[in-house]
Amino acid sequence: MMDNIYLPQVGRIAGIEEETQGARAIKTFKVEFPNGDGFEHACGQCAMLSIFGRGESMISIASSPLVKDYKQFSIMKMGRVTTAFHDAQVGDLIGIRGPYGNHFPMADWKGKDLVFIGGGVGLAPIWPVIQTAVAQSSHYGKITVFYGARTSRDIMYKADFERLRGLADVQLSVDAPEQGWQGYTGFVPANLMDKAPSPDNAIAITCGPPIMIKFVIQNLQKLGFADEQIYTTIENKMKCGIGKCGRCNVGKDYVCVKGPVYSWAELKTLPQEY
Amino acid sequence: MEKILSKEKLREWVGKLDGCEVHAPAFADSVWNYAPVQTGGDIDLSHTNTVGSVKAFAFPQREVFFRFEQAKGGAPVLTATVPEPRPTVVFGVRPCDGRGMPRNDKVFSAEFKDPYYWARREKLTLVGLACNEPHSPNCFCQSVGGSPHSEEGLDVLMTDLGDRYHVKAITPKGAEAMERAGDAFNEAGAADQAEVERVHAESRQQPQRPIGDLAAIPEAIKQNFDSPVWAEMAQHCIGCGICTFLCPTCHCFDINDEATGANKGERVRTWDNCQFPDFTMHTSGHNPRHDLGARLRQRVSHKFLYFVENHKTQQCTGCGRCISECPVGIDIVAVLERVGQS
Repeated sequence: MMDNIYLPQVGRIAGIEEETQGARAIKTFKVEFPNGDGFEHACGQCAMLSIFGRGESMISIASSPLVKDYKQFSIMKMGRVTTAFHDAQVGDLIGIRGPYGNHFPMADWKGKDLVFIGGGVGLAPIWPVIQTAVAQSSHYGKITVFYGARTSRDIMYKADFERLRGLADVQLSVDAPEQGWQGYTGFVPANLMDKAPSPDNAIAITCGPPIMIKFVIQNLQKLGFADEQIYTTIENKMKCGIGKCGRCNVGKDYVCVKGPVYSWAELKTLPQEY
Repeated sequence: MEKILSKEKLREWVGKLDGCEVHAPAFADSVWNYAPVQTGGDIDLSHTNTVGSVKAFAFPQREVFFRFEQAKGGAPVLTATVPEPRPTVVFGVRPCDGRGMPRNDKVFSAEFKDPYYWARREKLTLVGLACNEPHSPNCFCQSVGGSPHSEEGLDVLMTDLGDRYHVKAITPKGAEAMERAGDAFNEAGAADQAEVERVHAESRQQPQRPIGDLAAIPEAIKQNFDSPVWAEMAQHCIGCGICTFLCPTCHCFDINDEATGANKGERVRTWDNCQFPDFTMHTSGHNPRHDLGARLRQRVSHKFLYFVENHKTQQCTGCGRCISECPVGIDIVAVLERVGQS
């Protein structure tokens, strides 16, 4: 009998971390596989998470593939399923199927400097790449992480950032002036121009709100990054995750299969349907 | 295998298909649609075309993926509901619908095989009926590489020769269905062969909606991605989606959880539709295909550009349903013509 691609495995919520608060709060969930099944993933891939009775949502896997005991997901409270996740408790059993989509071509980046530029919850899809890169730092050159949030309270992975400081050049920003803020004040693209990382033998990886990505890419180009040196991820509404339900396409590509990771060289050839 | 079946023996053939579910077109509520045939019952193949397409036999409008039951804080119990259907024989399938099925097969295969689709599809035998005359003024099978007697996707092709049918097995599955009633058939002689060829040749001369240069369409669509043509052509669209529901190749679907009681429910697949705004709307409210023009562009591009790029063939077989049944007269052939001229 063929595999039932729609039947999820059972995942157990092993930990819940409150990242940010408010109407669109973000929580990070550690999900284990209590039945001993699970799956391997690569950086940038996603999984379809479900709360039975509420439905499924495609969420990027925010933990490094080097972490074998659990997978991590950062979920913003937005709709029916994500709200159900925000109401969930440690120990709750959920549905999980995947991994879906392509991945960042990290094997091609050996020996290169890596410049990460994230904003808001858009840090989650590139977080596994950052974690993998610092864990295997001998494979890469200099690692720089730009990350910005509206206010210091909206910064994700605060504890992890403290650890990251020793392993990478961390450049945090908040949008508006704040008492006692030590980092940059202003938008992420401006912070990028201020620090002006070199494009020589470097790869830039960016994810965040569409408007931020747009200006980050413009600024990377000003700094001399070629289209092939810039990577980002895109998202569209998804239901099946396997290129059949028909809604997440950008031109001929289903993002759930051919994406979510694109170089700017590839993405700029696709129609603006995301 | 090519045989002759006199019309009064059709009933005998159907009668020999015991153990199978048999479906054939039936006229009810002013329309033709497929309906189950009772054992020994009559079937009437005088239909034009069914309103609904044959895709529903492999891809029903609603189907349950699995049932779940989970007490609060407890472990979920999941019961997959992959169907185990009886062999199913469908009579009276028009060649345009037959050609739809191999296209659907591609979608439900690829990297991930769909177990629900294939459980039904593998048990399905399609007995086609050639169109001696176009069944509607909107037929355009020949304009998209088919023909009124195309065998593609069918297991058997029947051709009406007046008092008798010429019956040709296309696949081993089709031959098996014919062998069930071996006695009912007569050998096809040279005169029968000549007659079927004449009828087929004549059917190809019947008027159909022309499409200029099929090979030039993908590039024309690409060039017109940002053109105002789409919004113009979609101006009257009411977003009802009947074009896709009746289409033999539209396969888009939704997946939702439906409650069936306290702590239990079903995860359900239902047909969905690229003409609905929330088909692509993100939770944030952002919608990449935010107006009717963008959604018409998607329907046409999927069939005549993206599917061609991905599968080297159009995802349209020229049945004409989306034209005939559209309540506001949106006409895919006219859209293609307009895009080709822009």
